[in-house]
Amino acid sequence: MSNADTAADARVTAEITRIPLHYPHPRNWWILFGLSLLLLGCFFVAAGVLFLNGIGMWGNNIPVNWGMAIANYVWFLGIGHAGTLISALLLITNAHWRNSLNRFAEAMTLFAVVCAGLYPILHLGRPWLFYWMAPYPNTMTLYPQFKSPLSWDFFAVLTYLTVSLLFWYIGIVPDLASVRDRAKTRRAQVFYGLAALGWRGSARHWARWQQAYRLTAAIAVPLVVSVHSEISLLFAAGPIPGWTSTVFPPYFVMGAAFSGFAVVLMIAVTLRHALSLGDLVTERHLDLLARFLLATGLMTAYGYVYEVFDALYGGEKQDVATLHDRLSGTYAYSYWGAVLFNFLPLQLLWFRTVRKRPAVLFLIATAVVVGMWFERYMLLVTALYRDYLVSSWGEYHPSVWEWLLFAGMIGVFLAPFLLFVRFLPVISAFEVKEALRETGDLSRA
Amino acid sequence: MPSEEAANRPDGVDRRTLLKAVAASLALAGLSGCKAEADETALPYVREPEGSTVGKARWYATGVVFEGLVQPVLGKTLAGRPIKLEGNPDHPVSGGATDAFTQAALLGLYDPARSQAPRRNGRPVTWDLFARAAGDLAAIFDRTAGRGLRLLTGPVSSPTMLAQIAAMMQRWPQARWHVSDPAGPAEWRRASRQLFGRVLDRQPAFDRAEIVVSFDGDFLGPGPRQVLNAAQFSQARRARRAGKGRFRLLVAEPAPSATGAVADRRLVSGPREIALLLTALADAVDTGGTPAATGLSKEQHDWLSDAVTALRAAGPRGLVIAGDYLPAAQQALATHSNHRLGNFGAAMEFTEAVLAVPPDGEESLSALVRDIDAGSVSALVMLDSNPAYAAPGDLDFARRLAGVKTTIHAGTQRDETAALCQWHLPLQHDLESWGDARALDGSATIQQPLVRPFHDVRAAAVVLAMLMGRDISDRALVEETWRKRWAKDFPDRWRKSLLRGRVEGTDAASVTPDLAGPPLRLDEKPPPGGLHLLIRPDAGIWDGRFSDNAWAQETPRPLSKITWGNVLSIGPGLAAERGLTSGDIGVLSVNGVSVSGPVWVVPGQHDGVVGATLGYGRRHENGLAAGLGYDAYPLRQAAGGGWQRDGARLEPADRRETIATTQPHQAMDGYDFVRTATLGSVAPVGRQAQDNPSFYPKAPLNDPSWGMTIDLDLCIGCNACVTACQAENNIPVVGRDLVAEGRVMHWLRIDHYHEGDIADPKRHFQPVPCMHCEDAPCEMGCPVNAAVHSIDGLNLQVYNRCIGTRTCSSYCPYKVRRFNWFDFTGSDPEPIRAMRNPEVTVRSRGVMEKCTYCVQRIAAARITADKEGKTIADGEVVTACQQACPTGAILFGNVADPASAVSRSKADPRNYSLLAEANTRPRTTYLARIADPAEGEGNG
Amino acid sequence: MHEPSADRSPFGLIAEFSAPEPLIEAVRRSRKEGYVSLDAYSPYPIEEMPDALGIAERTVPFLCLAGGLFGAVAGYGLQLYTSHAYPIAIGGRPLFAWQPALLITFELTVLFAVCFAIFGMLALNHLPRLHHPVFGVPDFHRASADRFFLVIFCNDPHFRVEETTSFLHSLKPLRVEAIQSTEEPE
Repeated sequence: MSNADTAADARVTAEITRIPLHYPHPRNWWILFGLSLLLLGCFFVAAGVLFLNGIGMWGNNIPVNWGMAIANYVWFLGIGHAGTLISALLLITNAHWRNSLNRFAEAMTLFAVVCAGLYPILHLGRPWLFYWMAPYPNTMTLYPQFKSPLSWDFFAVLTYLTVSLLFWYIGIVPDLASVRDRAKTRRAQVFYGLAALGWRGSARHWARWQQAYRLTAAIAVPLVVSVHSEISLLFAAGPIPGWTSTVFPPYFVMGAAFSGFAVVLMIAVTLRHALSLGDLVTERHLDLLARFLLATGLMTAYGYVYEVFDALYGGEKQDVATLHDRLSGTYAYSYWGAVLFNFLPLQLLWFRTVRKRPAVLFLIATAVVVGMWFERYMLLVTALYRDYLVSSWGEYHPSVWEWLLFAGMIGVFLAPFLLFVRFLPVISAFEVKEALRETGDLSRA
Repeated sequence: MPSEEAANRPDGVDRRTLLKAVAASLALAGLSGCKAEADETALPYVREPEGSTVGKARWYATGVVFEGLVQPVLGKTLAGRPIKLEGNPDHPVSGGATDAFTQAALLGLYDPARSQAPRRNGRPVTWDLFARAAGDLAAIFDRTAGRGLRLLTGPVSSPTMLAQIAAMMQRWPQARWHVSDPAGPAEWRRASRQLFGRVLDRQPAFDRAEIVVSFDGDFLGPGPRQVLNAAQFSQARRARRAGKGRFRLLVAEPAPSATGAVADRRLVSGPREIALLLTALADAVDTGGTPAATGLSKEQHDWLSDAVTALRAAGPRGLVIAGDYLPAAQQALATHSNHRLGNFGAAMEFTEAVLAVPPDGEESLSALVRDIDAGSVSALVMLDSNPAYAAPGDLDFARRLAGVKTTIHAGTQRDETAALCQWHLPLQHDLESWGDARALDGSATIQQPLVRPFHDVRAAAVVLAMLMGRDISDRALVEETWRKRWAKDFPDRWRKSLLRGRVEGTDAASVTPDLAGPPLRLDEKPPPGGLHLLIRPDAGIWDGRFSDNAWAQETPRPLSKITWGNVLSIGPGLAAERGLTSGDIGVLSVNGVSVSGPVWVVPGQHDGVVGATLGYGRRHENGLAAGLGYDAYPLRQAAGGGWQRDGARLEPADRRETIATTQPHQAMDGYDFVRTATLGSVAPVGRQAQDNPSFYPKAPLNDPSWGMTIDLDLCIGCNACVTACQAENNIPVVGRDLVAEGRVMHWLRIDHYHEGDIADPKRHFQPVPCMHCEDAPCEMGCPVNAAVHSIDGLNLQVYNRCIGTRTCSSYCPYKVRRFNWFDFTGSDPEPIRAMRNPEVTVRSRGVMEKCTYCVQRIAAARITADKEGKTIADGEVVTACQQACPTGAILFGNVADPASAVSRSKADPRNYSLLAEANTRPRTTYLARIADPAEGEGNG
Repeated sequence: MHEPSADRSPFGLIAEFSAPEPLIEAVRRSRKEGYVSLDAYSPYPIEEMPDALGIAERTVPFLCLAGGLFGAVAGYGLQLYTSHAYPIAIGGRPLFAWQPALLITFELTVLFAVCFAIFGMLALNHLPRLHHPVFGVPDFHRASADRFFLVIFCNDPHFRVEETTSFLHSLKPLRVEAIQSTEEPE
């Protein structure tokens, strides 16, 4: 046992804890944070206008009762899947390289799920009554209708949010302790002291902590799968052509992982650059992420193929018509947009050289995020705008208020995430050190 | 850019905000009227103990006047407020049914924009002031024997008014009475004079006809005869189905109409071809030979021979109809053919004219204008007419009005004419007045008020009396008339007439005129080049008299499904040729005069014609209609009826306009939404709901269990059900822009489809209420138990549980659910609130709503049944749509009782569920249309 | 064996090491020596440590299981009860169907399993506890970075300040110190 390791330990600790204590590039951070606050402002304006006047402010109508709000809900929730997946799945499979990614991936998940959770509430006709979805004793002795996919979603999102939060928090506590121990100013000491819950690294604590952490991880994996499956049932459980398909659950889960990994990749590249974490988030990490992206992307593509096959094989006039509308209808742009952005740039990832280029990876990931938005939008609108009766066909065009709310939602995601980057350890120092001890090599960690 | 539309959403609720704005003026009026006191001298339809029980409805038999004719109704009042009109079942003209106009009349009573006080030169004044002025005038006219006095009214059938007019003309011999009737049957009257030397009314009896051949005669379309015609038509169709006779309806028309849509065989033919066909038919019927093929296409000739053969076979049970809007000569020719068929007194009857004929007959308005130009008119009194807007363009009435010294206008609205007159006098609405008028069978109805007048208004008859210096109430006037007639029997007959809503023994005398001589020739002059313009009253707001009626405005026109505006309709061929699509602005000009409006491509319209409708382009302020559509009156001519013009030109102006239609896509695209069966076939029509397998246990059928059938073979798409539903269920009006965005609130819509060749497609109407599915997807979707199933099979929507997730609507295969996108009701003006049906919840913002099968009526029936310890008998629950339907196409009842009417009709092999493949097992099912029995019999 | 209360003085003796291995070794030796009330502090979990300290606690997994079971019963029961307590006919489906009920049952199972595990862990660790005598030890803050500590508590039957100190020195730590009490006795 040489001192090299402990030196490495010290270096890792220093490198990670320095960020919350002495943030490297405050100016850039402030610019970004200012921007996110601006977007946050948009959110409050859009939501305010909505609450004052009603859903009529949006472009929704009969037949397209659901619009951007629900599409974005699915989109955000999908993105929110990668964090827990990476963190939990790779933890229980002992893939050490996760340690450089899981922390900010989890944070990303957390804030994405918050955005997702806000959307269904905002989209209600009477949002102030959203709590009626929850089972609580009331004078009417009336309870939610548990056969409804919306009830399932309610519990799914609630559980997912809670679990993600707890998983993330107990994961960060030891590092908070280490930041606390390095804090110089009183304010920092108090803040991190409280946040760290008085963690002192006792072996007995570690033992119980590991049991809890690993158990949570093990449970979180099936949870992730279940959550997006249930979201997909929101559509699949309805009798509408283009929705009623058994492929939806896996299709949605894959798409979720796909978009999630894309966002993780974007953040990894950004943080790596902005906080010069090159030796913690190594090229190997990016390469692995890229492979995951490629894999999940191809699985999502399978969903597309199956959809077409399903409609043609089933041959129901209505299903074929819906397929036709998707490929060539008013909203064909959303279908082809999805195909284009999702799968075309993706093919570059077959090449190792590309997988080593952060900038290119960032662009590909961005394309995927956009493509997946198109997909969610397409799946929702193309089924509704032309359902069974031709007499009830009608088009949907999002109003400026929906776009403003969307922009605002990005703010709701960005602002807290930037705060996280600025004030909390973005990489799990202790896990990196632990891995270091086992592998003895930082680049493998 | 739609998102921009959304951006300035305030415009989106324009019409409603306007409604609100107008409410302010009412607040000023203190809404004294909405104390809503019943007129204690009026007699309830159903006898009940004196004094009204709280919460118990009172019914009054009365009538609302449309086109001078009374539409007999029963008015329902609750807590003294009229809340609904139903047809008077004891009246042969109504049979308990109504049309959309009559349903909408209720809103007219509460219209916040109504004129509420007399005005002089635009400033509010008192009636006394007018009384004095009228006195002075009377004094002058007594000296001059009424020189220069002119009275202009709408069409009049009221015995009281006619008596008054007669009295006036007697007292002031120099005065003259004129009538302005923009949508009246002037051309028929000309024809009648030509044929019989005097004006008779045609009274076709479709129920006694075996074959009806109609030339551009939309007798099932909107108009004062619609209800009666529809009832007879449906009788004929029922008889055919029952195996009695094989009633057929053949139609030749230039532009699609309701009649054409339900016809067994339809022929697209331009005005010129119609003239040819009429002549050929007349000859054939006359000579007994086969129709000449000269100038006729193969298709036309086939149709004609089919018609002739059938007519000859039917003899007196054959009926030739020439539309009211055709030139007099053609109508005369058709009548000739009828005579030759010997159907006078059989399928075609005649009565003395029900509407009074003014001195100058059909030229009445032109005569007035001539006299104004001659300077011989010093005082013009305009009662319940709006010539400044609704006169033919070439009369240029508005300008001429300036040439008259004293102008007095009396009307319910402060319309274009009111704005140009020195005096404007607000008139009472029929539902708050005593009065009398005759129905189209000539029988008189004594109108009694459902409520005391809301504002400081007078009945038209009272205004007439004031002009002659009398101060007398409307009731006294009406009593006077009938006391004269009945002398000592007055009390009982008066009482009886009020209770029944009809005065016995006042029917118009029926005559069987003789017709000598050969059929007259139509002058064969070839029409000038260019397009042929057809002008028609609007199916929603008629000649403009309903343009301030929000219900009428928002009722989708039967064929186009357009609301809140009029269009220039053109055929698909013409559209292709001019490169026009629906929504493009077109400029239509006929020698010098031109209007511009959005074009609407109508499959099955002759490519030589352009269709325009009256009633839009209103210019009076404080009206709902401001800024809607174009004004077609300038295109009309006083001569020749003004229904059609030759040599019209249509130029594209490269602008577009959003047309607020509730059904943008009307092609049936090969689906089987509307199915067609062959007469007498017992095979089920297509895929049936019960054919589908289901995982779910079949729920036991409780007794009672409600269900509905809609007979597509009888539906004429007249919208009576739609407006009735709106009135019964407090359904809000959303306005043009929101309709265009797909947010119309009607619980019951009538889908219109065209099927097959775009040049001459088959057309179908399909009323779509909530299907009340057994396995309802909407209920599955709702997370808060707001959409639930009731014990008696209703699919309920619990408004106060609804949080507005809209899942139910997303899952609904029929898209019959409606969502309160904004607060559509909270800011309604006071009178609109007063009009609401207190038995139906008013929905707030953010909740879903839909057809309830009129659950309030079911509840009422159940309560009565429980009180009497009986079960609800068949026919005791009648939904609003069913009650209004003139053809009885809608049946509602207990499906658990095999003997009930609805069960029996569900047993009909024509019965099928819409979208059987969706496997929702709907409670509302349809009876397939029946194809032309002649099809496949060679002459098809 | 529980830690002594924080008002005992000295609270215990602490030895600092520069790497995990010597610490593990030290722990093993101390236990061989008969010490029972001791604890180790490290910046990250050390695989061998629980076994070295002889920790065989299984409480957290059991809590997790209990939570899961509770959640399952609660979730399924809730749906079963409510659909019969207020029976409403919905879409022609059976009043209660087990298939869809499983979804919410699963979610609640997960929710409670995780909550029980994590809050149970905190409770067993007596966390949050904002202060502790070891924080008084100079340089103990490196326990969260790169140093490893062994503590023998004063409530250990074999605890004698002198002997224990010399014993700890025999483990070749960087240094040995006494931990001062941080609270007044009640």
